[in-house]
Amino acid sequence: MPLPPMLEIVNLHKSFGERQILKGISFKVYKGDMLGLIGPSGCGKSTILKLICDLLTPDEGEVVRWSDDIGLVFQGSALLNSFTVRENLRLALRRRKLSNDQMDGIIIEKLRLVGLTDYIDAYPTQLSGGQQKRTSFARAIVNDPKIILYDEPTTGLDPVMSTVIEDYMIELSQQLDAACIVVTHQYSTWTRTTDRILLMHDGTSVWEGTPDEAVNSENPYMKQFAHATREGPMMSTLL
Amino acid sequence: MTSALKNRKTWFNPWLFFEEQVTVGIELIGQVIRMWIATMGYIVRGDFDHIETWRQAYMIGVKSFVVVAITALFTGFAMSLQISRELVLFGADTAIGGVVSLALIREIGPITAGVMVAGRVGSSVAAELATMVVTEQIDALKVMRVSPIQFLVVPRYIAGLVMMSVLSVYAMAIGLVAGVYIAGVAANLPAATFLDSVKQTILDRDFLTHFLKSEINATIVIMFSCAIGLNTRGGAEDVGIATTRTVVWTMTLIFVFNYIVTSLTYAPR
Repeated sequence: MPLPPMLEIVNLHKSFGERQILKGISFKVYKGDMLGLIGPSGCGKSTILKLICDLLTPDEGEVVRWSDDIGLVFQGSALLNSFTVRENLRLALRRRKLSNDQMDGIIIEKLRLVGLTDYIDAYPTQLSGGQQKRTSFARAIVNDPKIILYDEPTTGLDPVMSTVIEDYMIELSQQLDAACIVVTHQYSTWTRTTDRILLMHDGTSVWEGTPDEAVNSENPYMKQFAHATREGPMMSTLL
Repeated sequence: MTSALKNRKTWFNPWLFFEEQVTVGIELIGQVIRMWIATMGYIVRGDFDHIETWRQAYMIGVKSFVVVAITALFTGFAMSLQISRELVLFGADTAIGGVVSLALIREIGPITAGVMVAGRVGSSVAAELATMVVTEQIDALKVMRVSPIQFLVVPRYIAGLVMMSVLSVYAMAIGLVAGVYIAGVAANLPAATFLDSVKQTILDRDFLTHFLKSEINATIVIMFSCAIGLNTRGGAEDVGIATTRTVVWTMTLIFVFNYIVTSLTYAPR
């Protein structure tokens, strides 16, 4: 018997003013699954994450979640600059009404996972881009969420730091056994970290398969995206 | 010339501009009212972060002491100089203290503190919250199920209410000191005569009006700066626009409401 999905996206539509961003996309994510949402900029990938987190409301369709424990790693880390790393993580633990000692125990455990225990009392502005990203990871997993969403986790990082971040994603996915969605257009990120790929174009899904299948696919959209060529069906809507 | 350029509206339409400003203004006032109701709900339930409230009291109040002191001091100097000069001409120099203190407690104290806090704190709150919006920090709070109103607005509002009253009294006191000094220099008026006139003139209701104005000013500054900041969309340019908008709205409303309170409490019957 197949596992029930942790998250189901059903026929989502979303517009901003005149511009229709999502045009009826549907997919499912299972426990332990690492789904890569890939596609060119502006195709609606990040909008899906915001709809999953209730930061936006869909015009049509629905997001069915089997858990409300969601962790989101933002593209720009989104740490509160006037708070230390410890205070940023405590914010995420607030709703659990724990004592300070209990919270600190959890925070140190999560910071150890991302190798940042020495920076517990540092402010985000005192951290490098990679360290901020790792703090953002620690904040996203501090409540052991059942669903983890990564919004462009390696964009703007150098290749070495990208590899470090990708390794953390793989490690966390194995440890937490959560349903994960990785929004990215970085080739190394989707080929290394994901189990399944969903290619989006112009607000809808145009291809689905494994990363290996994606690299060798003859689908015109997937082929153009995987090989980063100018020739192909994506050009007409990008220019 | 291309047709696109020909069709471009290059002229200023005052009616369209007025209509746009009114719509935006009504929308903002609606946001402020909704935010104030939600904020009061948290305050009544005692559901707010006490440590953050103390931190905000320091940021809003303590850090404004110097700038309010300098403004109040020179306003007191100028006002006392003008009043002393005129009253000495009419031989009413013993009334200098009363007139100066009335102006300070009824108008200058709350206005000085209000305007300085609007300029220093209102703009910084709007910029801080707008930056938090554009850098997705507010979205991060929502994902963590932390209400931005409870976490960001309520501590600032409580701190604003308390510290605005403190700053208004402080501005009034500094203004009085300046008044005593200038009355002595310009009209040879002894400090005891000045203070005696103050005691005879000031009534309890003057203090009540003073505190009422301070609390209204705090509400205007904090609520408008938070509403404008939290409803900012876009990027760095929009953060700048939010800051300017906050200063314009809060300073204008401080003067408008100051007149409304004055007309309701001191109008001749």
